[in-house]
Amino acid sequence: MKKFRVVHYINQFFGQIGGEEKADIPPLDKEGPVGPGMAFNAAFSGEAEIVGTVICGDSYFNENLEQALKDVLERIKKYEPDLVIAGPAFNAGRYGMACGRLCKAVKETLNIPAVTGMFMENPGVEVYKKDVYIVETAGSAAGMREAVPKMAKLALKLAKGEEIGLPREEGYIPRGIRKNVFVKENGAIRAVDMLVKKLKGEPFVTEYPMPDFDRVTPAPAIKDLKSAKIALVTSGGIVPKGNPDRIEASSASRFGKYDIEGVDFLTPETFQTAHGGYDPTYANQDPNRVLPVDVMRELEREGVIGKLHRYYYATVGNGTSVGNAKKFAQEIAKELVADGVQAVILTST
Amino acid sequence: MDLEVQKRIKEFAEQYGPENVVVILGGAEPEAAGIAAETVTNGDPTFAGPLAGVSLGLAVYHIVEPEVKEAVDKDVYEENVGIMEMVLDVEGLSSEVRKYREQYSKYKA
Repeated sequence: MKKFRVVHYINQFFGQIGGEEKADIPPLDKEGPVGPGMAFNAAFSGEAEIVGTVICGDSYFNENLEQALKDVLERIKKYEPDLVIAGPAFNAGRYGMACGRLCKAVKETLNIPAVTGMFMENPGVEVYKKDVYIVETAGSAAGMREAVPKMAKLALKLAKGEEIGLPREEGYIPRGIRKNVFVKENGAIRAVDMLVKKLKGEPFVTEYPMPDFDRVTPAPAIKDLKSAKIALVTSGGIVPKGNPDRIEASSASRFGKYDIEGVDFLTPETFQTAHGGYDPTYANQDPNRVLPVDVMRELEREGVIGKLHRYYYATVGNGTSVGNAKKFAQEIAKELVADGVQAVILTST
Repeated sequence: MDLEVQKRIKEFAEQYGPENVVVILGGAEPEAAGIAAETVTNGDPTFAGPLAGVSLGLAVYHIVEPEVKEAVDKDVYEENVGIMEMVLDVEGLSSEVRKYREQYSKYKA
């Protein structure tokens, strides 16, 4: 049987060139395995072989991204590999970013499988786990022994085009992909089984792990509310009647910016909700319940706040992806800052 | 284990013959001591240094192990190692290093 040809990507440290002082070396390549490549060759047990190793300094790769990536890919291509292995990078941040970026590029431009390995907290995981198979490793190089066989096994499976099992079976970090499968018991029975186990204090594995959301540090409090310009932003879907921007009732892909200059309070004749995730009756009856323009005007008149911003922003937070929500927020925040707004009141439903 | 240290140990083993080299470790962490012991016997488990894939099989001990303590003059040992012996995890360090020595050392002193 033909042996799969593998190219291994490693950094200057594992390439035995040096530590931090050599982190700025540009890419170079050597025939055969170097350092951890020897362990991979042993783990492939004759089914694959590292024919070349590409080494690049971690700082160089990250600081000259486009150039480095192009150079590394050229060197990889030269060996005509069937497979690329990068790392493992353990908890080394720049190394992890380089391995993740490279594996993504290998898959996209050379169209061959690539596998890397990282510690769960490596920043490369967050950025590349959706695009790349990242085997979970220990935090330090002491975990090499456990990491190599897992990575080698997954890599061989990919090279052979075999079906890849679930993350916990194969040892890679979940990529956020949902797959339909048939199981014997229906959902109700499985859920009750889990509940019973939970009540008994026995271990069980959830079928729907909650996503990890990042934490946002609150901005410092406003010192002088009386002179502050405050804006309203809502995910409750309040839009001018007729929803002129056609904001979707669910999984919104856009947000709207609406002028409320001279509007003392919202009326059902001029505003409505576009949200499809709650009973809209009460929001449509009195849109101020979701977007409190009426109260803000009172506070403005009483001098509690300086001024209500002329525009409000609205989207629908019903099943909207975190990615889209982040993108909206960045665009909205940029405009608000440019308009001299000091604070925002966010309302949802 | 540091790349430079690996290189030096490899050179000493070549220069004096592996049977004439004993490595005495001084680190405080059992896990790190274990990795160092493995590095100079079976080869660098992190595959980062010159001893990656090189099995020197050297004799290796931690300074707090009884074998070393017995071989050293009592007063000298007390003066230089006494305090560290009280604060270090002697049992943990000894068992880690012993594990790799018994498995991989070819030249037990």
